[in-house]
Amino acid sequence: MSESGTHITGLGLALPGVAEAADLVSSGERADAPPPDPAERIGRKGLRYKDRATQLALVAARDALCDAGLITPDRERCAAGGSTAVVASSNLGNLDSVCTIAGDIAEKSVAAISPMNLPNASSNVVASSVAIRFGLRGPNLMLCNGVASGLDAVRWGASLISAGRAERALVVGVETGNGVTARLTGVPEDDQLDGAVALVLESSTAARLRGATSMASLGEGVRSTSVAGCVGSLLPYDASASGGTHARGTRSGGAVEAGPGVWFVPERFDLSAPLPGTEGLERHDVTRTFGRASGALGVLQCAAAVSWFASGEATAALVTSGDDGCDGVAGMMLGAPRGAR
Amino acid sequence: MSWFVTGAGAVTSVGKDADETFANLCAGRSGLAELRAFDSAQYRTQHAYEIDDRPARERDVPYRATDWLLRSVTEAAEQAGLGTDLSGIPVLVGTGLRELRSAELAWRDGADFDISRLHFGTALRERFGTSDSHTFSNACSASLYALALATDMLASGMHETVVVAGVDTLTESMYGSLDRVHMEPPRSVQPFDRQRRGVLMGEGAAAVVLRRDVEDRSSSLGTVRSVSVNCDAHHVTAPDPRGITEAVRAAHDLAGVKPSDIDLVLLHGTGTLLNDEGEATAVSQAFGPDVGVPLMTAVKSMTGHTSGGSGLLSLIVALRSLATGWVPPIAGLRRPVAEADGFRFVQKEARRVSDMSLAQVDAFGFGGVNAVAVVERGAR
Repeated sequence: MSESGTHITGLGLALPGVAEAADLVSSGERADAPPPDPAERIGRKGLRYKDRATQLALVAARDALCDAGLITPDRERCAAGGSTAVVASSNLGNLDSVCTIAGDIAEKSVAAISPMNLPNASSNVVASSVAIRFGLRGPNLMLCNGVASGLDAVRWGASLISAGRAERALVVGVETGNGVTARLTGVPEDDQLDGAVALVLESSTAARLRGATSMASLGEGVRSTSVAGCVGSLLPYDASASGGTHARGTRSGGAVEAGPGVWFVPERFDLSAPLPGTEGLERHDVTRTFGRASGALGVLQCAAAVSWFASGEATAALVTSGDDGCDGVAGMMLGAPRGAR
Repeated sequence: MSWFVTGAGAVTSVGKDADETFANLCAGRSGLAELRAFDSAQYRTQHAYEIDDRPARERDVPYRATDWLLRSVTEAAEQAGLGTDLSGIPVLVGTGLRELRSAELAWRDGADFDISRLHFGTALRERFGTSDSHTFSNACSASLYALALATDMLASGMHETVVVAGVDTLTESMYGSLDRVHMEPPRSVQPFDRQRRGVLMGEGAAAVVLRRDVEDRSSSLGTVRSVSVNCDAHHVTAPDPRGITEAVRAAHDLAGVKPSDIDLVLLHGTGTLLNDEGEATAVSQAFGPDVGVPLMTAVKSMTGHTSGGSGLLSLIVALRSLATGWVPPIAGLRRPVAEADGFRFVQKEARRVSDMSLAQVDAFGFGGVNAVAVVERGAR
């Protein structure tokens, strides 16, 4: 583990057709894979009245915390909860609850709706429910920030750690497809992600103190108005270098030193579109496997990068979310753990 | 460290800008009215604190929250001398309910709404040229949470200026769900009063420009000394006084102040049975024998619960109160709850106090998300 920076020390997945992290990068259609079943994964207790996005988030969060060695399946209260933040990201998570409640009131009356649905009317129900279940009392953030939201969540998790507000952060990205999201987004249900991904981010000091293993190190997060601008700021293209290779990354405070071998591109990005500086980079669009991932995308991409590192295929990964027409493009470099190189 | 507030903006049910809002709060004017947003026949609750800018009664239109947000950011940026080009400046928006009202209208009534505008980034980019904007949906402490993150950005040395804002509108799903849990529908928000029945939603937006440094300190509206954030990790809707007490103490510690240094507290004060008891208990605990030192007020008695924007609105009011000496009252507070024994509430009418320097601002939200700020007086 490097001396400084922020590391991924745990990974949790609630995705169709994925049993383990290695399945993240094996290509192939998962149309036939059954959706994750939260009750089967973590039991029914505590799932009642929770919307599906919250249930999926709880599954991924539990697995990530277990993977990081912060809890065990038998002992879910996190002993380090006071210094652990939660950052969740979802754009569409509670949309079905909100629209269904509004519809029921108009069709019948307010007496027809359930008071137990009150928490689901507030979009932060995912982040707070995760904190409550596992006893995480640090800062608790809910990002609902459009297509770049997941990667923004990773950046804010790292920011809470570097600002000293927490020693670690559980970052969760979740989306779910249903009739409401399909109609309002115009994306068919079978092309929407129905799943959650969670990462434990930890300062190198905190990780070292408890003997945790790094799965990846995080570089600096950037935001730009375009994909080209974002990639350009993360991959300073050095034309003077022999053969026009990438300058070795310099933007990450030393955390990510190698040029990337893989680029996790924005949702439905043209895989053959020319972009200076990205020649020779293998492009990978996780949404072609798992469906449009909206607010979960960046977290899913980071998890895929971890899986990529574990397979030994790259020592650094470029991750970008967002397109030129939206509010901004987020990007980040991730580095493989030292031992893997 | 301290961070300078160089501009402020607000749109509320009691004012079209920050000045008018503060003046009306000090005059004890309330935005309370009968429900206009929705078909009131469907509800038991019949009141709210709305911004009355719909084209017709019960005919709601999309994008009202976005509109107020852009107005409040414009006001704050202009006052700070930034103009309308905010490219390169991060904009952090705290909101409870985003543009979910527009989503309800699109889903149920077929209103023209682009789902990619559920968050505010696209509208901010179009108006101000931003590329680093963030919509935090952090319930009723959202805008103070955003303020905390803004101070972290400034402290990191990566940015000189950050814009922080908060906004919320009524949604039927939230108004209806709250209606469902009231024992008796409230007719007004009465923070800390024994007769209070619960919360009523309010609409509004607030924004500030925060800077690491300023050339002319007399031009600052005041400084943010600290913002603490945490989570009760206790219950999805009910507060836990222990988490709130910790948040208050952390804010004091970060600012390097003692309870006896605080001259004014802008309480969260939602008028719900649980919040007001919990908040009073927690503040009592954190202040100990000094609980009678600061004046205490809560603006939701006149603005309603403006949800994600409420913390920042309280902060703007706090800075104006410190600068002018005028503290708005808690309208409708007659007999305070027992848990607030010893509190120096401002009741009935605004009070003029000289030599106030430090204020504490509370904001708490569903899921136990707590944020507490300490601010210091500026020159204007």
